[in-house]
Amino acid sequence: MKASMRHILRLLAVLFLLLASPTLSVGKVLVGVIMTADIPYYAEMHQAFVDGLKKRLPGDDDIQFILQRPFPDPIAWSNAARKLIAIEVDLIVSYGAPATQAVLFEKSKIPVVYAGVYEPEAEGITGRHVTGCGYRVPLSSLLRYFKRLKDINKLQVVYSSNEEDSVRQMTELVNLAQQQDIALATVDIRSQGDIKKIKSIGKGDAVYVTGSALAHVWIEDIVSLLREKKVPVVDIFSDSAETGMLITLFHPPGQQGEKAAEIAAKIIGGEPAENIARELLRETELVFNLVEARKLGINFPLQLIVEATRVIK
Amino acid sequence: MTITGICLRRQRCYRLFLLPVVLLLLHVCIVPQARTAEKSTELLIGIEPEHNIFDQVLGYKVLAGYLSDKLGLPVKLTIMSRYGEVLDRFRSLHLDGALLSSYPATLAVKKLGLVPVANLVNLEGVSTSKGYIFVRKDSGISGVGDMRGKSVVFVDKATTEGYLFAMSFFRQHGVTDPDSYFSRYYFTGSHASAVFAVLDGRADVGSAKDTVYEQLVSKDRSIRQELNIIARSPAVPEVTLCMKNDLEPELLEKLRTSLLTMGQEVEGHRVLKQLKARRFVLSDPDSFAVVLEMAEEAGYDTLNGGGSNR
Repeated sequence: MKASMRHILRLLAVLFLLLASPTLSVGKVLVGVIMTADIPYYAEMHQAFVDGLKKRLPGDDDIQFILQRPFPDPIAWSNAARKLIAIEVDLIVSYGAPATQAVLFEKSKIPVVYAGVYEPEAEGITGRHVTGCGYRVPLSSLLRYFKRLKDINKLQVVYSSNEEDSVRQMTELVNLAQQQDIALATVDIRSQGDIKKIKSIGKGDAVYVTGSALAHVWIEDIVSLLREKKVPVVDIFSDSAETGMLITLFHPPGQQGEKAAEIAAKIIGGEPAENIARELLRETELVFNLVEARKLGINFPLQLIVEATRVIK
Repeated sequence: MTITGICLRRQRCYRLFLLPVVLLLLHVCIVPQARTAEKSTELLIGIEPEHNIFDQVLGYKVLAGYLSDKLGLPVKLTIMSRYGEVLDRFRSLHLDGALLSSYPATLAVKKLGLVPVANLVNLEGVSTSKGYIFVRKDSGISGVGDMRGKSVVFVDKATTEGYLFAMSFFRQHGVTDPDSYFSRYYFTGSHASAVFAVLDGRADVGSAKDTVYEQLVSKDRSIRQELNIIARSPAVPEVTLCMKNDLEPELLEKLRTSLLTMGQEVEGHRVLKQLKARRFVLSDPDSFAVVLEMAEEAGYDTLNGGGSNR
C-alpha cells in the first residue's frame, strides 16, 4: 500500500513539474509590450515586431499582445512594467532604454526582450532574464553633414535629463563639437513647458535632436517653432511622419522590431533568455529632406545628395 | 552528279569564301596604314568621373586648352559616364586617348594596345595610389573573419583601389563567395562616398583609394579617429594618360614633351595648380603588372570579361 502511494506521489510530482515548466510553447502566450507614447519610431518597431512574431509562430491565435503606452515619465514607465508583471505575462518586450530600465528595476523573473535601446552595454542593462537588440548611430556623421551644408553659429542639442541614453548622446555630442570646433548649447526637455526654451534659439543656429522619447512626443511643436526661424533640425530617429527634419540618420526601426521578434520566438519556443546573445545593430539609413531644405533656403550640393539612402523631394 | 560538277561547285564555294577573307585582309593591312597616314585634326580625350565632377571638369578643361595651344590642334574632352566604360567608349566614340585610373588603364593597354604616356603627380608628390580596406573603430571588426554577415561598400567594379584589391584580399583570406559571406555589398560610384558610407554606419566595411581617404582626413581629423584601416594594397599608377597606338609618332612625342615640361613655364604652372597636381611624369608600362596580379588573385577574367569575376 505504502509502495503504491509512493508511486502515485511520484507521478503527481512529475506531473507538477511538467505543468510548472518554464517552456512557453504550450497554450496561450501573453506578450506584454511597453511602447512609449505614440512616437512613430517606436510604432514602426512594434508593427515589425508583431508581424515578425506572427510570421514565426503559425497559429497566431495563441499569442496575445498586451500593449502599454506610457507617457515618457519615470512613474508611467514603472506603472506599465508593474501592470504587465501583475498580469503575469509570459514575456515582456520593451522599446527604448527608459522603458527597459523600468522593467528591470522590478526584478521580475519574466523574460525581457528589449529593442530600440541606444548602446545597451553603456546603459548597464544586465540580468539573466534579459536579452534583445540595441543600436548605435554615429552621431559625428550628422555633424559632418551639417558642416558640409551650412555655416552654423551654434549647435543646439535637444535632450532630456529624464532619459539616460539621451544624456549620453548629449555628452558625446559635446565632446564631438569640441573636437570639430563647433560652438554648442543644450536644451533640456523635462516637461511641455520646456518647449518655450526653443524660442531662444538663434536664427543662425542648428538643432540636433537626440533619441529622447520626451522630445519626440512634442517634436511637431519643436519643429514648427524652429521653422519660423528657419533653423534646420537633424534627428537620430526616422521622420516617418515627415514633420520637417532636414537630415535624419537612424537605425531602421523595422529591423529592430524584426530582430526582437526573432529573439522573442526563441524564448517562446523554450530557449532561456540568457542563452540568446544580445545584438547591437549598426546599419543606418541617411535621409535628406529637400522639401524642407527649400523652405529653409538651403541648397544641397549634388555630391552630398548622392550620399543619401533616401531623398524626400 | 559528275565529279567535274562537284569540283566546279567546290571552286565556286572557295571563291565565295575567299572573297570576304581577301577583303578582310586588305582592310587589316591597308586601312590602319591609311589612318596613320591621315593627320589628326583634333584629339578627343575621355575622363573618368570623380566625386566632385565639376572641379574635375574645370581642371581638365584648362589642361585641354593648354594642350591645344601646344599641339596646334583642338584637344576636346568627354566624360565617360561611369568607371569601366573606357573600352566600350574607345570603340563607340572613337576616342584618341583617356585619363584613366589603374584598372581601366591596365585593360586598355592590354586589350586595346593603348600607349601609357604620362602620370599625374599629386600635390603630395606621388603619382601612385593604394587601396584601403577600412571599418569603424567601434565595429569590433579586426580582420576578414569578423566580416562574416556584415555589409561591404565598394566604389566600382572597375577600380583597383575600390574593388579589385578588396576582392583579392578577401580571396586570400578564404572568402570565395562574397554573396554568401557578406550580408550584402553595393557600389557607391565614388571613393569619398565609400568612406562616408562606413563613417555613417551605412556599411560595415569599405574599400577606397588612399589619396581620397587622406584628403578627407586632412579636412576632418575626426575621420581618422573613427576609422581603422585594416589592409593596404601595393601602389598602383593613380591617373595615366593613355593614347591610341596609331597616332602620328610626332604628335605623340609632342604631347609627351608638352606634359613633361609643363612645370617649367608659368602657364603650365597655372594648369597644374588647377589640376591640383605638381607635374606629369613619364609612365612606366611595367607599373600595371601589379594590377594584373591583383586581378588574377581576385579571380578576374581580364582577357575576356574585364570587369567580371570568374
